[in-house]
Amino acid sequence: MATVFMKWLERRPADYDRGIRLLTLGRLEAMQHLIVEELIQEGTRVLEVGCGTGTLTVAMAKAGANVSAIDISPGMLAEASKRIKRKEVEEHVDLQRMDAVMVDELFEPQSFDLIVSSLALSEMSERGRRYLLKAARKLLTPDGKLAVLDEVRPTSGGPRLLFTIVRAPLQLLTWLLTRTTTHPLADFEGVLSISGFDWDLLSAELAGSLRLYLAIPVDLDESDLKPEMFRGRLTGERTLRTVLIDLWASLFRILPPYPQVKPGVYAVGDPGRDSPLLVTGNFELTVRRLVRAIEGELEAWILVVDSGGINVWCAAGGGFLTADKIIGALHISGLSEVLEHHALILPQLCANGVEGWRIREQTGWGVHWGPARAVDIPDYLARGRKKTDDMRWVTFPLCDRLEMTAVTLGFYALLILIPIAIFWRSMFWPILIALAALSAFYAVTLPWLPGRDGLAKSLPLALIAFAGMLVYSTIWDPASIDVLFARALGVTGLSVFIAAELQGMSPLMRGEQANWGWEAVIGGILGLIYWLVPSILGWR
Amino acid sequence: MSEGPNLGSLLAEHWYLARKLRSLEIHFSPERCKGLWQCYEVCPVGCWMPDYDVRCVVFQHGELCIACGACVLQCPEKAIELR
Repeated sequence: MATVFMKWLERRPADYDRGIRLLTLGRLEAMQHLIVEELIQEGTRVLEVGCGTGTLTVAMAKAGANVSAIDISPGMLAEASKRIKRKEVEEHVDLQRMDAVMVDELFEPQSFDLIVSSLALSEMSERGRRYLLKAARKLLTPDGKLAVLDEVRPTSGGPRLLFTIVRAPLQLLTWLLTRTTTHPLADFEGVLSISGFDWDLLSAELAGSLRLYLAIPVDLDESDLKPEMFRGRLTGERTLRTVLIDLWASLFRILPPYPQVKPGVYAVGDPGRDSPLLVTGNFELTVRRLVRAIEGELEAWILVVDSGGINVWCAAGGGFLTADKIIGALHISGLSEVLEHHALILPQLCANGVEGWRIREQTGWGVHWGPARAVDIPDYLARGRKKTDDMRWVTFPLCDRLEMTAVTLGFYALLILIPIAIFWRSMFWPILIALAALSAFYAVTLPWLPGRDGLAKSLPLALIAFAGMLVYSTIWDPASIDVLFARALGVTGLSVFIAAELQGMSPLMRGEQANWGWEAVIGGILGLIYWLVPSILGWR
Repeated sequence: MSEGPNLGSLLAEHWYLARKLRSLEIHFSPERCKGLWQCYEVCPVGCWMPDYDVRCVVFQHGELCIACGACVLQCPEKAIELR
């Protein structure tokens, strides 16, 4: 899929800061200031979970704290590191890249007076959050404290509806400008309580949706804190819900919110201690296809890792599915005590962002690259985890081309058809039909059209469409020369657009997406012809 | 908001990335290769072929490369570069 799209999805740290400032209307900084004022003294040992670009890290270090700051994103850490150097607090800050759930593995018990997290817990899966809170109890000194600054979703109906309505446009705007979204916490107070913390609300802003909690561990029987790691059984069953979601995803897959599965361990069939463990991302369609591919063929464990609800290829390329996330998910899954084997099977198509050797080094588990397509998994396992070249190499067969055509159509129909429905209603149906028919024709004939990339292939497509238009205009709907002229320009424009856009969805292209520049040029020229020629020839 | 990204800068960024992707090339140092064949395992388009005689890989079908970077990332010997 579109390599450029996923690179573009990748969060730039600077964009992230701007996005957060926009979403929280600037209130976040004041609340971070409060943390420094109230909780930091000379020599306070702080663990900051999810330091991001290091704003709070630097503020705490300046106030005299010794901060161990962790984050899972290399980009964010690089930015934080720059900031820390610039503000000359390197001596007081130790930066590390890791998933937050690894803290109990990498820090000594009772080594922090304060654990701080600012907008990081809401980035984690619910299970990861529970695990981290449990680990935090161990890492804090007896009179240590936990400060959590995060977005919280109102629990009761009325305020919650209001929150959603007010937030939606702001969220969309923020996503478009900075590709940043957040996922406000639900019932966080309940989670704090069952995780063994007494809490106080230190501050609340933005109608109570941005909150700062100060929590103190209470005595609790450790056995009460065991998170149940197993989430349940997955089946490929079709229900109204799955059909509707599949339908939505087949048209609007590239628009958030992406349908997601909760991260965690699932079973397919009735797996035992020696059953294979398959790793995948948490895009609902991905998980469903995986389950349908293996159900009835084999019994397996599935470790669903948080990939932001994005398919594994784009998530890995965009930095949403990383080695650290898989290491973290494996760590809290507790699977190393349950399974007899220690072999992870990763989807081959996440290799563009997940370093297999790092998982191998850090966890001691064997890492095996599964086949590119889920349907080949039973065969791959039957061969003793050996792939044939056919399982390894990606193709772009007709069914995939048609599926991608639907995805492209869904997205671009929004871009093109909504303005047309508003400003040029009489042309809505003709353009919709032409768009759909040409796209389907293109998807079917793609391999046989001459030309190396979509833009080159748009020329033969335009010629065929032009011929089709002539036949139509002669036999069924005889038209005057000026109507013919407009139709010719229309089919040419649509052909270029369709051919050049579908290539972005092909797994076998690179960088050709830059052709949209040419699309714009060609579109401009066609527009110019549309306006100039009739007035020169005196048609209008 | 004034300093934030606008539509123009987003398009420019997209354009720049796409152009860059197009010009990236694989540079392979066979002397570092220890024959783990991870690149062959993960390449989705079949650029890499194992050489069974000398336990090394051959960058055989460069014309198929989509510059996804998987082989670069998976090579623990850092024998592959994309630039």
